[in-house]
Amino acid sequence: MPIERDIPLSLTPDNILRRQGIRQRTSRPEIAAITEKLLSEMFELCLLEPVAAYNIYSIATLGDDRVSLDNGMEIRSISLPSLLSESRELAVVVCTIGHRLEKQVTDYLKGNEPLRGLLLDGIGSAAVDSLSQEACKLIQNEASLRGYQASSRFSPGTSGFPITEQWQLFELVPADEIGVSLAASGLMVPRKSVSMVIGLGQQVTVQKRGEACARCNLSKTCLYRWEVNNQHIQA
Amino acid sequence: MSGELTKAIANLEENEALRLTREKLDSGEEPQSLLEESRKGMEIVGKRFSEGTYFLPELIYSAEILKEITEIVKPRLTQEVQSERLGKCIIGTVAGDIHDIGKDIVVFMLDVNGFEVHDLGVDVPPQKFVEKISETDAPVVGLSGFLTLAFDSMKETVDAIKAAGLRDKVKIMIGGGQIDEEIRKYAGADAFGQDAMTAVSLAQGWIGAK
Repeated sequence: MPIERDIPLSLTPDNILRRQGIRQRTSRPEIAAITEKLLSEMFELCLLEPVAAYNIYSIATLGDDRVSLDNGMEIRSISLPSLLSESRELAVVVCTIGHRLEKQVTDYLKGNEPLRGLLLDGIGSAAVDSLSQEACKLIQNEASLRGYQASSRFSPGTSGFPITEQWQLFELVPADEIGVSLAASGLMVPRKSVSMVIGLGQQVTVQKRGEACARCNLSKTCLYRWEVNNQHIQA
Repeated sequence: MSGELTKAIANLEENEALRLTREKLDSGEEPQSLLEESRKGMEIVGKRFSEGTYFLPELIYSAEILKEITEIVKPRLTQEVQSERLGKCIIGTVAGDIHDIGKDIVVFMLDVNGFEVHDLGVDVPPQKFVEKISETDAPVVGLSGFLTLAFDSMKETVDAIKAAGLRDKVKIMIGGGQIDEEIRKYAGADAFGQDAMTAVSLAQGWIGAK
């Protein structure tokens, strides 16, 4: 199983603000100053440990409600078969920024500093967003080596792809090797982790982020949603 | 000048708010009137939050300022006032879910707004809520959950409270990323909230505080 460590991340102010729940282009100077300090602390203490693991499988068949792989395993989903209709292979990816940042967030929350906890948690979410984008690029490179394109990514817990399929994904990628495990509910530990599948084929569907948000049942209320034109929804 | 402290809190001027608090206390102003001014400032922050001018970080920041002010004022309050709380609330993230940040923020906001909060943590089984209600007689219970799987746990928790004969004694609110009216009905809760401020308003409404 290929494992990529020390993946460089891109933490843009826009993405940090979005993940801190600030639906504007700038934050108040006081909040911005604390965020700056937290970013410095994060780098000093090496709170990010970005790593991604993946495996690529050939797709045997696409049923109405499942994707069957040529190793005999299946992923059940009513949305994936149509989204992967042009795909020949399936990349299964798990990535994480590790435990350290979460621990620091918890320390802030328990130490009566919820603002710092909230802001650092937002930075962590922006980091894992960036990591999953970098992981997608890795798969795009793998796809191009095979003469394929890579589709958009799809994760358990999104519309038509039940979170219970996490167990199947973790069979396909032994993520314990990168320190990610599943709680009984299928939630990943550390929480700042992403699991996803990406289709590989000669002509695959690439969705904009906003298109995926539009299919979600939180499309009107989610704080972090994107519009169809990929703009972050502003207040 | 009257209203300065209210304004400083509303505008999130932390240093100014703390300076004014100390100055007013030293000049003999009643500690409770300072807390009242602070409360008015928090009301303005809450209004700006619901209007979308302020966001969650600003809301939490204002609550941290209020907490600092309360710490400064506390030694000047009578013992009776110091220990006075508006009422008891029990909060926890339901079984199967381990998300804590939203729940922790609600706990902080309730605490800062004068409630005695019993935080049960995350992945809390229904029976633990039942036991805590029996032990504390808290009239408000908050169930937090971020995952869709948490909806079933919320329902199971409400059912367990009902089965223990305690449902009529408590008001139950639910909250988390995906909660709406449909989920509230499914879970059998009394209300739902999309943010920490709503949780405070609900608790205030149920306990009768202003």
